[in-house]
Amino acid sequence: MSEDIILPSATSLSKLTIHDTSKTGFGYNPAIGPISNSITSETSSILINKRTITLSSAPSIYERNITNKKPVEINLSSLSFLFCEIVNWTHGQSRGIHDLEMKLNKLGYSIGQRYLELIKLRDGIKLNKRDLKIIDILHFIHGSFWKSIFGKHANELEKSQDVPNEYMIIENMPLLAKFINIPKDYADLNCGAFVAGIIEGALDSAGFYVNVTAHSVPMDGFPLRTVFLMKFDQSCLIRESIH
Amino acid sequence: MSSYYLAIIGTRDNPIYELEFASFKNTTILSSPSTPNTPPPIPGKARFAPNVKELLPFIANSSLDLIEDAQFTSNQLNLGKIDTFYGISINAFITPGNIKFVLCYDGNVKEENSIRSFFNEINELYVKTLLNPFYAVNDAIISPEFDLKVKQLARKYL
Amino acid sequence: MSRKAVGDDIWKNNVEKINSELFTLTYGSVVAQLCRDFNNNYHEVNNQLDKMGYNIGLRLIEEFLAKTGVRRCQTFKETSEVISKLGFKIFLNIQPTIENWSADGKSCSLILPEPNPLTEFVELPITADDKIAKELWYSQILCGVLRGALQMVQLDCDVQFVKDVLRGDDRTELRLKLNKILKDEVPAGED
Repeated sequence: MSEDIILPSATSLSKLTIHDTSKTGFGYNPAIGPISNSITSETSSILINKRTITLSSAPSIYERNITNKKPVEINLSSLSFLFCEIVNWTHGQSRGIHDLEMKLNKLGYSIGQRYLELIKLRDGIKLNKRDLKIIDILHFIHGSFWKSIFGKHANELEKSQDVPNEYMIIENMPLLAKFINIPKDYADLNCGAFVAGIIEGALDSAGFYVNVTAHSVPMDGFPLRTVFLMKFDQSCLIRESIH
Repeated sequence: MSSYYLAIIGTRDNPIYELEFASFKNTTILSSPSTPNTPPPIPGKARFAPNVKELLPFIANSSLDLIEDAQFTSNQLNLGKIDTFYGISINAFITPGNIKFVLCYDGNVKEENSIRSFFNEINELYVKTLLNPFYAVNDAIISPEFDLKVKQLARKYL
Repeated sequence: MSRKAVGDDIWKNNVEKINSELFTLTYGSVVAQLCRDFNNNYHEVNNQLDKMGYNIGLRLIEEFLAKTGVRRCQTFKETSEVISKLGFKIFLNIQPTIENWSADGKSCSLILPEPNPLTEFVELPITADDKIAKELWYSQILCGVLRGALQMVQLDCDVQFVKDVLRGDDRTELRLKLNKILKDEVPAGED
């Protein structure tokens, strides 16, 4: 799917107009341009003298360490409860199964965009590389991406025999599906739409336009087994054949 | 002494952050200005000639073509120096999510390593910005903290 | 064993743990989506988060009681101890402190440590009018969870945020107030 449809078309939650000037002397204002944050004699002296200044009373996210910190843990139930309620709430807002899956996909999408950059950053400066080929990005998703998010690698990665632009990632025990009760009239619903959104967000950000859907394909011993089907846009295949 | 123009460009070729600055190295305090009635230069403030200054956004924008060529041929994040244009050199960096950092500068700067370190640290700042749920990809980065951090990095590396 | 030690023990041995980042990002995605859906009517966003929390609380209490085997508390002071040392520890792996008891022993403040799994990486967006910083309680879902869980043990409570570090306050503070003890009523779930 092209990014114009998925990304929120609403304006950003942060807004500045050309009349807004910074109180602290810092802060880019896109309505004004580079003049808004150009270096002045006050800010210059702050920088030269390496003075520490606090710009706001709220704690700054830029002071936090995101690469080397010890992983913080939380109860799996908390995530399950939250997710169940999200499905419940989204269900109340949706006009049907497809609508509900789209909304779950959208919630996961922005998460996937974030995880891609974060996980790559944590690979470290030497190993951090962009993946250029479909097979490389899929190995990444199946491997370190899945591991960082769910604590384990995905189970299988397959390419469709019949359709050239289709690939599948298979997860035998999806984390979030365990506790969901699906109402009877929504028998076809798959809450994997949320995880499909995470995958789609990551792949789209990496430059691979793709449509990802989740399908329940139970197998012996794995009643919740889910197949994530990825349909890559033709432009990706054309690009691969050129380079 | 080099002046720099940094632009962070989103996936729709839209600038989401810009900064003009000058090298903070070798700043000397002039005891008296060389000509009367002119204020001493502010350390770190960009000193592009006006005709060059106008061209900077266009230079950054036209370098996007070159960046796009490299995007799917090189798997490096740091592309290094990709072009020069009438004495302005252009370095570029692409994040895994295809956000581009473009640095235009005058003068002959041979410090590829400094620029690489600068870009790597900005990458980390960008990821921190992105982790905020209220920030969406391709939003402008208006946080004063971010601006301060970028300027501190400029001071540190360039 | 002290309550804190019980909580630590259950956390260590009887809880399936995952990396908190997915939780943090998921909650963030929901709050941001609500802000867009309600067109920056932050009072509505707070309401929705509270309702969602309430529904979660109604079910969460069962798991809590099953895991901890806690008996009926004799005083509200005990209840709040249990909430902070066991409840928050087991579900969010954080330990809030309790302060500011009212004279009648029916209300107190819960101080949440920062950062916590809900608010990690979050910074409220900058707008000219600062509306979001004055109206949104980012972690409002917690109020609903506490309210719903306590309802199920026959305690009708009000839970509200009074301070939030994300808004620039010095700490994140919830006010917990006991209204009345319910007798054999089954509360309806909120949609």
